[in-house]
Amino acid sequence: MKKKFIFYLSIIVLMGSCYPNGADYYEELDIVYTDYDDEFDFASLGTYSIPDQIVKITGELLEGEDPEFVKEPQNSQMLAKIESNMTALGWTKTEDPAEADLVLFPAVWTNTTIYYWYDYWCWYYPYYCGWGWGYPSVSSYTTGTFVMTLVVDGDNYIDPARVWTGAVNGLLSGSYNVTRVNNAIDQAFKQSPYLKTN
Amino acid sequence: MIFCSLFITTKSYAQQESYMSLQYSVSFGTGDLGDYISAASWRGALLEYRSAVKGKLMVGVDLGWNVFYEKKDYDTYSVGTESLSGIQYRYQNAVPILVAADYLILSSESLVKPYVGLGIGTIYNERSTDMGMYRWKENPWQFALKGELGLLYELSYRSSVKFAAKYYNGFKSNSLDGQSYFSLNLGMAWVL
Repeated sequence: MKKKFIFYLSIIVLMGSCYPNGADYYEELDIVYTDYDDEFDFASLGTYSIPDQIVKITGELLEGEDPEFVKEPQNSQMLAKIESNMTALGWTKTEDPAEADLVLFPAVWTNTTIYYWYDYWCWYYPYYCGWGWGYPSVSSYTTGTFVMTLVVDGDNYIDPARVWTGAVNGLLSGSYNVTRVNNAIDQAFKQSPYLKTN
Repeated sequence: MIFCSLFITTKSYAQQESYMSLQYSVSFGTGDLGDYISAASWRGALLEYRSAVKGKLMVGVDLGWNVFYEKKDYDTYSVGTESLSGIQYRYQNAVPILVAADYLILSSESLVKPYVGLGIGTIYNERSTDMGMYRWKENPWQFALKGELGLLYELSYRSSVKFAAKYYNGFKSNSLDGQSYFSLNLGMAWVL
C-alpha cells in the first residue's frame, strides 16, 4: 500500500515538474497598448509638436525641481522613431506647441519589484536553511514603461485632453536594446491606423 | 482464435470488490476550450476508484488533472478603442472530480472487459492568460458530465491494463463558457 502511495505521489510530482513554462527571452514579454478617443477627428488635423527630451517620471516633483530625462543616444533614437512614424501617417512637425494641432508627450518610468523566497523551514529550525530543497534568496526584476500621449487643447477644451495613448511595457535587461524599443514604437503606430491624416 | 482466447472465463474484477486505476491522459480541447488552446494536452493523469455493486455495474469516483498550454504568436487583441499587442501564454488546468458508473458490456469474467461509463460532478478550471508581465486569471467550478468508452485487459489476478476514451462536458458558469474536452487514457488498474 505504501509503495502504491509513493507511486501515485511520484506521478503527481512528475506532472508538476513538467508544467509548461512561459517566456524565454526579454522581448517575449514586451507588450504594446494603445487607446484613443473615437469621437476625435484626427484626419482633419495635420501638425504636431514634440519635446526634444523624453522625461523620466520618478515621482512627484518638488516645486522648482527639474525632471530627469532619458540619456543620449537613446533619447534621440526614440524621438527619431516616433517622428518617422508620425511623418508616415501624414503629420507635420512644428516647433511651437502653441501652433500645433496636437502635442505628443513622451515619458518613461521604471518599476522594480522585489520578490523574496524564503526557505520555509528556516523559521522553524535554522539548521535546515540552505539544505535540500531551497535556500533564502532575493530576486528582483525591473519593468520599463514608455508612454506616448497625444494631447489636444484650444478654445473648445477647458483642459488639455488626451486623444491617444501608446504605451510600451517590458522587462528591462541589463543593456539598452534599441531594436526592442524601435519595434515597440512601430507597433504602437501600426495598431493605430486612425491617426492617419489627409 | 486469439480473439476468442481473450474472453476465456477467469476470475473477474466484477467478482472482486474494488480496484484503483492510474492512467496517463492525452486531451484535446473542444468548444470554447479548443478555441482558447488548440494544442493537444500531453500533460494529464487520472486516478479512478471503482467498486462492484451489482452484476456488471461498477461505481466509484474519478479525479483527473489535465494541463493545457499554448504559446500564441505575437498578435494584436482589440476591445472597443483599446488594443494590446504581444505574445500570449495560455494555460488551463482542468481538474474533473466526478462520481462515475461503468457498465461492462460483455461478461464480467472475460479477460477483456469493454465497458461504457457515465460520470457526473464538477470540473475545476483554472485559466491563466499571461501577456507581458501581466496575468489574467479565471478559475470557475463548473457542473460537468462525462461519457466514456473503454476496456480493461486483465494481465493477472490483481492487475489490468485500462484504456479509455472520455468526453468531459462542463456547463457554463458566470465567468466562463462551458469547458469541454476529449481525452484518451491509458494506464493500470490494481485490485484492492
